[in-house]
Amino acid sequence: MIRPVQTAHNTQNSAFPRMTTQTSDAPAIALRGVSKSFRTPDGQQVGVQPTHLDVAPGEIHGIIGFSGAGKSTLLRIANLLERPDAGQVIVHGQDLMTLSPAALRTARQRIGMIFQHFNLLHNRTVADNVAFPLRIAGADEARIAERVKTCLEFVGLSEKAGVYPAQLSGGQKQRVAIARALAPEPHVLLADEPTSALDPRTTQSLLEVLADVNRRLGVTILLVSHEMGVIRRLCHRVSVMEAGQIVERLTIANGRIPPDSQLAQWLRDFGDAEGDEAGTDDTEAAPQHLLSEAAHG
Amino acid sequence: MADEIAVAEPTILDTFIELLPEIGKAAGETGLMMVICLTAAIIVGGALGILVFLTSQGQVLGRYRRFNLVANGFINVFRSFPFIILLVAVSPFTRHIVGTSIGPLAASVPLSLAAIFYFARLIEQTLRDVPRGVIEAAEAMGASPLQVVSQVLLVEARSGLILAVTITAVSFLSYSAVAGVVGGGGIGDLAIRYGYYRFQTDVMLITIVLLVILVQSIQFFGQWLARRVDKR
Ligand SMILES: Nc1ncnc2c1ncn2[C@@H]1O[C@H](COP(=O)(O)OP(=O)(O)OP(=O)(O)O)[C@@H](O)[C@H]1O
Ligand SMILES: [Mg+2]
Repeated sequence: MIRPVQTAHNTQNSAFPRMTTQTSDAPAIALRGVSKSFRTPDGQQVGVQPTHLDVAPGEIHGIIGFSGAGKSTLLRIANLLERPDAGQVIVHGQDLMTLSPAALRTARQRIGMIFQHFNLLHNRTVADNVAFPLRIAGADEARIAERVKTCLEFVGLSEKAGVYPAQLSGGQKQRVAIARALAPEPHVLLADEPTSALDPRTTQSLLEVLADVNRRLGVTILLVSHEMGVIRRLCHRVSVMEAGQIVERLTIANGRIPPDSQLAQWLRDFGDAEGDEAGTDDTEAAPQHLLSEAAHG
Repeated sequence: MADEIAVAEPTILDTFIELLPEIGKAAGETGLMMVICLTAAIIVGGALGILVFLTSQGQVLGRYRRFNLVANGFINVFRSFPFIILLVAVSPFTRHIVGTSIGPLAASVPLSLAAIFYFARLIEQTLRDVPRGVIEAAEAMGASPLQVVSQVLLVEARSGLILAVTITAVSFLSYSAVAGVVGGGGIGDLAIRYGYYRFQTDVMLITIVLLVILVQSIQFFGQWLARRVDKR
C-alpha cells in the first residue's frame, strides 16, 4: 500500500493539536466487500457491487467515475448513511455495522461530511451551524464557543459568525460546512462533490482549505468528484469506479495521472488535453463528456 | 342634533352597546373553544403530523411503514367527514367525557378532533419543505431522530409551522361558528340566535364584522411572525 504524502511543512497551529494518527498500517477507512442494491419500481438497481476500499490514515483519496457509477453510494456507505447489503465498514478500527444505533451516532460524530449543496441550516447563524454537531453531542458551551471560534478562523470566516447562510456566497457556505464538519475534531472527512456547485476560482480556494484540513489537522479525506482537476490537485490516490465497482486504483504523484492507466485513456478519449500542466488548468470539459456518455449507457 | 339621534331608530352602535354583555360572553365562549381545539391540534395533531412525516418513505423512521399507512388512513378518514356530521356522530362520546353535548366545552370535543387531523396533515406537508439533504447532514453528524425533529425540522420549517397554526386558527374560528348552531355558544351562535332567528340584521352585521376583524388580525399576525422568523 502506498503511504500518504507526509506532512511537508509543519504549520502547526496550537489551537489544532495534530491528531494522533495511528502509526500502524491500519486503514482509517476500510470498506470490505460492501455491496448495495436498490429496489426500484423497475426492478433491482445495482448501486455498488462487492467492493474493497482502503484509505490510509492521513491520505486524501478520490473516487472518480461516470455518473451513476456508484460513487456517492460508496461514499455514503462509509458512514452508513447507506447501509450496505453485505460487507464490513471499518472506520478507525471500529466496525460500524455491528454498532447499536446509539453507538453509531457517537461514531458518526467523529466522521465529518460535506455535500455538494452544503446542507446548512438556513434558520441558524453561521456560528450556530458550526456549533450544531457539538450541541448534538452534548458538549458544554465553553467548549462549543472555543471550537466555533477556532474552526471559523481556520476557514477564514470569523467575521461572518453572526450572519445567516442566505447572506453567504456558495464558496463561503461550503467553508461554513467544512468548519461545521471540523468542529467535533473528526478523524475522517467524507466529501461528495464538494466543489461541483462552485466556479473554478472558488473551487481552487476551497481545495486549498481541504488540503489544509488534511495537512495541518491530519484528517483523512475521502472525496467524490467527477472533476479531474480536483482529483489531480488534491488527491494522493484515486479509485476509478464504473458500474458499481472500482476498476482502477492509481497513485497521483505531483498531479500526474499514470499515462498507461484506464483513466488517462478516458481523459484522452473524452477530450482532456492531458494533465501536463499538473493541475493548474480548469478544463472541466472532460467530465462533462463523461457525464453525457454515461447517460447513454 | 344630538336629540334627533336619540329619538331616532336605534343605530347599529346602540345595538352594539346594548348587546355588549352578550357579545362579550359569546366572544369568551369562542375564545374557549379556540384555545382548547388549537391546543389539542398543536400538541396531538403536531405530534401525529411529525410522526407521519418521519415514517414516510425515505425519511429517518421510514422503516415504520405500517405505522405510516395506518396513521395516514386515520387522518384521511377523519378529514373526509363533513364537520357537521362529525359533530353529531361524536356526540355520544362528547356526552361521555364532558357530561353534556351542548355548550362551548362540549363543542370543543368535535372541534378538537377535526382540528387534530387537519393540523396533522398540514404539518406533514409543511415538513416536506425541509430539504432531505439537511436532515441527512444532521444524521451524518450523529443526530438522533428526536434531535432531528427538535433541532432541524422544527427550526427549519418554523415559518411554515406558524402559517399552519394561522390557517388552522382561521378555519376553526369558522368551524366554531358552525358548532354554535347545535348549541355550542360563541359568536356564531349569537349570529344565529339574534341575526337569523329574530331577523335582527344589525346583530348579524356586528357579528360578521367581529369575525372579519378577528380573521384579519389572526392572518396578519401569523404572516408577520412567519416572515420575521424566516431567515432562508
Ligand atoms: N436511493 C436510491 N434509490 C434507487 N436507486 C439509487 C438510489 N441511490 C442510488 N441509486 C442508483 O445507484 C446507482 C449509483 O448511484 P450513485 O448516486 O452512487 O452514482 P454516482 O456515481 O454518485 O453518480 P453522480 O455522479 O451522478 O452523482 C445509480 O444507478 C442510481 O440510480
Ligand atoms: Mg453522486
